[in-house]
Amino acid sequence: MITVTSARKDYGSFTALDDVSLDIPSGSLTALLGPSGSGKSTLLRAIAGLEELDSGTVTIEGRDVTDEPPQRRGIGFVFQHYAAFKHMTVRDNVAFGLTIRKRPKAETAKKVDELLEIVGLDGFQHRYPAQLSGGQRQRMALARALAVDPQVLLLDEPFGALDAKVRTDLRQWLRRLHDEVHVTTVLVTHDQEEALDVADRIAVLNKGRIEQVGDPVTLYERPANDFVMGFLGSVAHLGGQLVRPHDIALERDRATALALDAKVPDSPGVIDAVVERVVPLGFEVRVDLRADSGERFAAQITRRDAAELQLREGETIHARAVGRSSVVDHDPALAI
Amino acid sequence: MRVSRGTRLSLRVVALGYLFVLLAVPIGVILWRTFEPGLSEFIASISTPAARSALNLSLLIVAITVPVNVVFGVATALALVRGRFRGRGLLQAVVDLPFAVSPIVVGVSLIMLWGAGGWFGALDRAGFQVIFGIPGMVLATIFVTLPFVVREVEPVLHEIGQEQEQAASTLGANGWQTFWRITLPAIRWGLTYGVVLTVARALGEFGAVIMVSSGFPGVSQTLTLLVHSRYIDDHNTYGAYAAATLLMGIALVVLLLMTLLDRKRSDR
Repeated sequence: MITVTSARKDYGSFTALDDVSLDIPSGSLTALLGPSGSGKSTLLRAIAGLEELDSGTVTIEGRDVTDEPPQRRGIGFVFQHYAAFKHMTVRDNVAFGLTIRKRPKAETAKKVDELLEIVGLDGFQHRYPAQLSGGQRQRMALARALAVDPQVLLLDEPFGALDAKVRTDLRQWLRRLHDEVHVTTVLVTHDQEEALDVADRIAVLNKGRIEQVGDPVTLYERPANDFVMGFLGSVAHLGGQLVRPHDIALERDRATALALDAKVPDSPGVIDAVVERVVPLGFEVRVDLRADSGERFAAQITRRDAAELQLREGETIHARAVGRSSVVDHDPALAI
Repeated sequence: MRVSRGTRLSLRVVALGYLFVLLAVPIGVILWRTFEPGLSEFIASISTPAARSALNLSLLIVAITVPVNVVFGVATALALVRGRFRGRGLLQAVVDLPFAVSPIVVGVSLIMLWGAGGWFGALDRAGFQVIFGIPGMVLATIFVTLPFVVREVEPVLHEIGQEQEQAASTLGANGWQTFWRITLPAIRWGLTYGVVLTVARALGEFGAVIMVSSGFPGVSQTLTLLVHSRYIDDHNTYGAYAAATLLMGIALVVLLLMTLLDRKRSDR
């Protein structure tokens, strides 16, 4: 368990962390999600000891490490730009932590070979970082961080510098690795898809504060406020409420729409809107709409519904909200 | 940019001609004059007691100057790049001072400081001779060579950034271990070049050193001073050529040695 209590960090007039408290359970894979400047990287670096807090404490597995330097915190850290030791081979990079700890040579060699096999770099022992691709370098950095058996693994936008395909591959791989190794892992990302994909817990940060912490489903379906809702997936403004585009149903008949809407409590009502564009997205169809008020929004409906409706651009249709994923900030039990 | 064949050729000729006239011809003339009377004559000329003493003194000054500049140069570069302290801008400017100040001025200021009548003159009066002794020559050489290591290491430190060092610290390395295993190997090329420049300048320094040297042949003459005194005072033109060739030879050996050492180290 990592516990951060009342962490505060200012850079001049900019507040990076504003009284942040967070518990990260042992064995979890937690994502710190937020836009740039939200303080997520600062929080991670404070846990690592690479950043000193102005006030507040950090404990790792019950040990107060607030005043400990990084080398005595029992952590592994992976940087966005790999931070590979350029003058060392892959083997020496991975062995670094063990060499520093003066472990027996045979033990080190065995451990390094094991790790390189796990990260899929078997046979690359004698290469230099410059001879590896970005994805390989990051896997080497992961092996290097894992070699010292850290209590917690901290990853700072680890896939941010990689191209889209490698990024998705590597995060699947990280998820599987975590399921095998079970080390408490904290991942910083600004990519909500990445957070939803790999993490079992997500903490959403904004302007140096934590907006909400929870599992991906809760955050997606019951966001504590507009910010969380907007950050975790796309949203549509419907009659003054935020609604997920796939929670909007379209009806040809206004009476039917009103009747169905009456069954949904706290709904924004039925909105008449003009179809501006129909965009097929594969499995789903996105319908760009313009309400009478002039407000534009998009609905995402299945291919079959779209076929039944036979939407044409320029015609008027009736939109209503269906699901329960609207903001619950009026529900104090879920607000943070 | 596309350059026509003619332009390219003439550019090449101009560049090579420039180098030839300004570098190759003078060096060639010295080498030719040195070895014209034969190798034995050369060896005789550089193994007189005065020449041997000058060689020893030059090497001694280099041997003191280089380690001092390496230690303080790397420390200063680290402070300039990584440090966040008041007066960093001032330090930046001060480091370049030896480039800006004429070596003669350095010599004069050293005399005013360490000479018998200077601020630290008590030391001189107590019998520890700085000016007109070896310590003064070393001080003068250190002063004029001070910026080389700093200015060669600084941009490399900027370029490598701090992430590798931070990674090392998260892996359990303390400050010293990080410095020896990560920082030093990363800056070794800049450091090598800084050392080569320091050696070359330390061997060749004339203005600052002649001011604080008593200039006795066989006692307090460096190789560079020997070249000068043989040519000007003794009208021993050949002796000056021979000493100059020896001087060039040492610089060349240092350059080769550093390159070889570095290649060996990076091969490991």
